[in-house]
Amino acid sequence: MSSMAFLATRRFAGGLASRLLGVSGPGEVEFVLIRRKAQAPRGAPSQTSRRFASTSSRSSHGFDYDLVVIGGGSGGLAAAKEAVSLGKKVAVLDFVEPSPRGTTWGLGGTCVNVGCIPKKLFHQAALLGESLHDAASFGWNIPERKQITLDWAKLRESVQNHIKSVNWVLRVELRDKKVEYINALGSLIDTNTVHAKLKNGSERILKANHILLAMGGRPIYPDIPGALENCITSDDIFSLPEAPGKTLVIGAGYIGLECAGFLNEFGMDATVMVRSVVLRGFDQQMAGLITEEMKSRGVKFLFKCVPVSMVRQADGKVKVTWKNLEDKSESSDLYDTVLMATGRRPLTLEVKADQVGIKLHPDSKKVVSEKELTNIPNIFAVGDILEGKPELTPVAIQAGKLLAQRLYNNGKIEMDYDNVATTVFSPLEYGCCGLSEETAIERYGDDNIEVYHAFYKPTEFFIPQRSPARCYMKVVCQRQSPQKILGMHYIGPQGGEVIQGYAAAMKVGITMEQLMDTVGIHPTVSEEFTRLWITKRSGIDPTPQSCCS
Amino acid sequence: MFATKFLRSSIFSAAIRESSDICSILPKRFASTAPQIDVFVVQDSKDFDERVKNSKVPVIVDFFATWCNPCRMLTPRIESVIAERKGEVVLAKVDIDEHTELALDYDIGSVPVLIAMKNGKVEDKLIGLQDTDKLRKFVDKVVKSK
Repeated sequence: MSSMAFLATRRFAGGLASRLLGVSGPGEVEFVLIRRKAQAPRGAPSQTSRRFASTSSRSSHGFDYDLVVIGGGSGGLAAAKEAVSLGKKVAVLDFVEPSPRGTTWGLGGTCVNVGCIPKKLFHQAALLGESLHDAASFGWNIPERKQITLDWAKLRESVQNHIKSVNWVLRVELRDKKVEYINALGSLIDTNTVHAKLKNGSERILKANHILLAMGGRPIYPDIPGALENCITSDDIFSLPEAPGKTLVIGAGYIGLECAGFLNEFGMDATVMVRSVVLRGFDQQMAGLITEEMKSRGVKFLFKCVPVSMVRQADGKVKVTWKNLEDKSESSDLYDTVLMATGRRPLTLEVKADQVGIKLHPDSKKVVSEKELTNIPNIFAVGDILEGKPELTPVAIQAGKLLAQRLYNNGKIEMDYDNVATTVFSPLEYGCCGLSEETAIERYGDDNIEVYHAFYKPTEFFIPQRSPARCYMKVVCQRQSPQKILGMHYIGPQGGEVIQGYAAAMKVGITMEQLMDTVGIHPTVSEEFTRLWITKRSGIDPTPQSCCS
Repeated sequence: MFATKFLRSSIFSAAIRESSDICSILPKRFASTAPQIDVFVVQDSKDFDERVKNSKVPVIVDFFATWCNPCRMLTPRIESVIAERKGEVVLAKVDIDEHTELALDYDIGSVPVLIAMKNGKVEDKLIGLQDTDKLRKFVDKVVKSK
């Protein structure tokens, strides 16, 4: 069957099914899910150009597919949907190798299944617990603190059910948009050929004009005796059948901190083991404040320590032995759960990217790429597998969409990887956008950088007497007028919500003068950015004296 | 640790709740001596063809998901309505995660969805959680239609 006929049949079948089903309106009913209609892409082509594209390209290149995407995560799906909307024939291969603990999941990649989504929901559970405690001082009659406890199984089930509903929505969306979904492990045979190993063991060979690599990454298990057998990772934590109990988190990147943060808020004993620095790559003053905040909430930290061995005890606990890198001493303790969060590796070798000659970074094995291109002209890459690019879902989505526009619609816009805002969802959130203070000084020189900063007191902290000690923000800008802003950093409630709007302002080049000229919304935490006036250089105490005005 | 103990016991209670939910969606009449099996779970597409498309009596197909709360609420309601018809109509339950292609073929975008089928043809469709009266009318319509 020719590819055109194939598409036509699919379309006909879809139309037939919907006609058969009739038009019964939803009326007064409850939905679990509502299918989202396809959004018109930015700069959508006319009907004519669409038809032209779909007929010409297929006959010209002679492959079965215009595009085969390996990886059904945020980046891969975004590119696939965009390409199909531009009249291309696209297949997406998605397959999840079970984690060493046997955890597996559905369509949508890391973010949906074992990343942003479950993480944010567990974080929300933690915030709700905190709010419950606060509620008493606002007059709510609630049980004593000790009696408010978390039902882990209930939380896990609710979150997993939500994830499964998202898996389904994505699946329906692919079907609606006529993206061919293949639940198979893909690997490269040559630069136009993808081998697909299906779940039932059968195999398929797909010939494609373009191939997009979007496999993402998986957690690393360092080579430590007992680690592989006894540790879980972020792949497993959100679907653990039982509450993790006393937990050692190895690694102090954002994943480790977030997990330790919500476990501690849930009332579990949480310890973070830090080899060198907390939140590497982030502003280190802010990282220090986050560490202090987490300590004050009860999270323990083991600084300058590395694990040496892990041994399962008869009672099921894991005995972890670690070494202090400074005094070389060894210590050990027993934990119910050990969570490895020492980094992630890209799945480039799994798809044999190296074997078809794709240039990979020698250490990270990530794809060395400019503008999502690889050194092979018809193979592209997006998302977490890109060397030196932020590993963030919206970045992958944006890059994937723009790439499809450039490939199939004469799009000219390139992905801007600078000034992408992000947030660490630690109990007190840390939102940031742009350069850290140290990077700004390194690039521009100390004399050319001004840093405005302030501690502040959120209004809602007073009544429950929550400590505002780590509620802090700073703006890193050029010293010379009009003081273009290079970085914004915020620690406090709703960090993600606060920083997003400022990211848009930074995108259009906001200056400190313009920020100071902005009128705030009172009383909010975000308005504190508009009230900044103390520079670090001035040496004035950035601690607030009183509450208002 | 107190917290851990509490969490463990609550897992246990959740498991009990879960199993009672599952009971309610299992075919209830397999073990009974009643001659007519009026609720069954579709096993595969062949099973769907045989027992739904080729059914002598009208079939209500309940497309559901295990993760969908409204589905859980709908199940006992539609089952009781089907039971009232004493074999004039049967209920076929399709887990959309187990039988994804089947669900997609019938354009299931949201769940729960009830589809009324007669002689292998779709006669009507009802999306979302419904009250018993509405379900009764929906079932009546397909039973009475020629």
